[in-house]
Amino acid sequence: MFSYILRRLVFGVLTVIGVSIVVFVIMRVLPGDPLVAIFGAEGYTKLTEAERASYMSQLGLSDPLWQQYLAWVQDIARGELGHSFFRSESVADMILRRGPLTAQIAFLSVLLSWLVGIPVAIVSALKPNSWADNLVRFMSILFIAVPGFWLGMLIVLTLLFTFGYRAPLTGANLLADPWTTVQMIIGPAIVLGLGQAAYIARMARSSLLEVIREDYVRTARAKGLSGRLVIAFHALPNALLPVITLSGVLLGFVLAGSIPVERAFGTPGLGYTMFTAVSERDVFVMQNLVFLYAVVFVLLNIFIDIIIAWLDPRIRLR
Amino acid sequence: MTTTAPDAGLRQMPGTSTSALPAPPPRWRRILRPVGTFARRSPMSAFWGLVALAIVAMAAAAPTLAPYDPLKSNFRAMTKAPSEKHYFGTDQIGRDTLSRVIWGSRSSLTIAFCAVLLGTTVGALWGLACGFFGGRFDIASQRAIEFMQSFPDLVLAMAIAMALGAGTGTVIVAIAITRIPFGGRVIRSVALSLREQPFVEAARGLGASNKRLMFRHILPQCIAPFLILATTHLGVAIIIEASLGFLGVGIPPPTPTWGNMLSDALNSGLVPPWWLVLFPGLAITITVLAFNLLGDGIRDLLDPRLRGSV
Repeated sequence: MFSYILRRLVFGVLTVIGVSIVVFVIMRVLPGDPLVAIFGAEGYTKLTEAERASYMSQLGLSDPLWQQYLAWVQDIARGELGHSFFRSESVADMILRRGPLTAQIAFLSVLLSWLVGIPVAIVSALKPNSWADNLVRFMSILFIAVPGFWLGMLIVLTLLFTFGYRAPLTGANLLADPWTTVQMIIGPAIVLGLGQAAYIARMARSSLLEVIREDYVRTARAKGLSGRLVIAFHALPNALLPVITLSGVLLGFVLAGSIPVERAFGTPGLGYTMFTAVSERDVFVMQNLVFLYAVVFVLLNIFIDIIIAWLDPRIRLR
Repeated sequence: MTTTAPDAGLRQMPGTSTSALPAPPPRWRRILRPVGTFARRSPMSAFWGLVALAIVAMAAAAPTLAPYDPLKSNFRAMTKAPSEKHYFGTDQIGRDTLSRVIWGSRSSLTIAFCAVLLGTTVGALWGLACGFFGGRFDIASQRAIEFMQSFPDLVLAMAIAMALGAGTGTVIVAIAITRIPFGGRVIRSVALSLREQPFVEAARGLGASNKRLMFRHILPQCIAPFLILATTHLGVAIIIEASLGFLGVGIPPPTPTWGNMLSDALNSGLVPPWWLVLFPGLAITITVLAFNLLGDGIRDLLDPRLRGSV
């Protein structure tokens, strides 16, 4: 087990290095002038050659690319992620202030997706092709197709028109003001949770259907255990392994999905910051945030792999 | 042509009555037969396939279908709720929402089709090469694909679209790049298993070059997985395109896309009018639903073993 964890971590470090190179290539090497991004196409044409050159060297963009890359890596190592072009707040502060909100949304949505997805899948798998099963399958296909941000906009509008209610937009601190925070995160969490629940229900259903047919489940039934016990203690633990893996993949979906969903709800989380950065073409903020998202995604996947290995000796011993 | 000559001669030979042989089915029947099988086996998918076809037709016929010019403002009808004149209402500067939704299907579908085709093809060719050559090239490629998959799709697409600047071409490239790993993975495994098959060995024994082996013997076997992959990813591509539009890095306004229509609705003020939110989103949902279910049907028809894996 220890060697497995070590191996995964070494691979993780390699992946993070690779990811940093990919991010750097996208943000700095691909065609597209950062000064155009900052000043706009029109403002850019008004700058003189000398001004352009001085701005470029101020931003450290006229150094050779490998120097720029090393400088960026050093900044990350020191925890100084630079400043936005448009705001005084440093990127590191931004992440610390807004990150927790998005983390809470992600956590709550995963919780919701399991609370909704698994019971629904059990009902569905126990009576295949019943009306309940058909309903579950239809709903999961539907929720895979519905864009989360649109659902979010509809929820905001419906609450506003029917109850005159709008979730608070500022003042999020889970400890100081839990009620406000819950109101802020519950909407995005429900939307993202339902989106994941659709995938989880589908996976759990097909996985349960497979497991139920196995011999050891029949044995458990034959020795006189009740159906409920067999499902809960024999079938479910094995059927849930692929669901855990899927849930890890879906976390990436939540990280990405929270960007438009937070915009739809107006939740001031990290996703909203990402939206602001991308619409303002704020290259440095974007570079660091994209890297952060990728690192979180890689770490989550390693974490899931380790959990799976801990739960399933067949993987650990391979 | 020389090949048809003996056949034509045979038909004119005396004594051979054509009525004794069953008449070959007309051409259109032969083409339509698999469609019929498809419809019988999975009526649900066939129905949604028709819906998908209708949406594609709508996109193609947008200029004749749309009742108004999607870009033209009518300042006497601004922010009007749905009525008989404007079935889906009008937006803040008096543009007809129905016309914009119809025209929006054009950009959304064009981008989704091109991106999936480009991304899956590049991925498939890459995967084919990986599976066929193996060795160091394969190992390096697998690492590269892993790095690409370390990003959530939308985040990667956002970064690329932002770096390249707004426009149809860049959005297509941005979405296509996120589709490459999927094509690479699936086709690589197909090529890996085919490489050891006797028919490939035989061709190699006959002295076929690597190029011939790859494109003449292995590539044709990859067509079914390729088609399945492409149709299942259409829905995802449409959602990513809409999200990019919603976040302001898709096709820039005034060109209508479903995503930037929703974004416009939110930018208009504190409370967006409901018809500006409902209809573009409904269009996205129905389109994605149609392509996803069609994809499921095609997958079950072409390769039932792949159920749930692609």
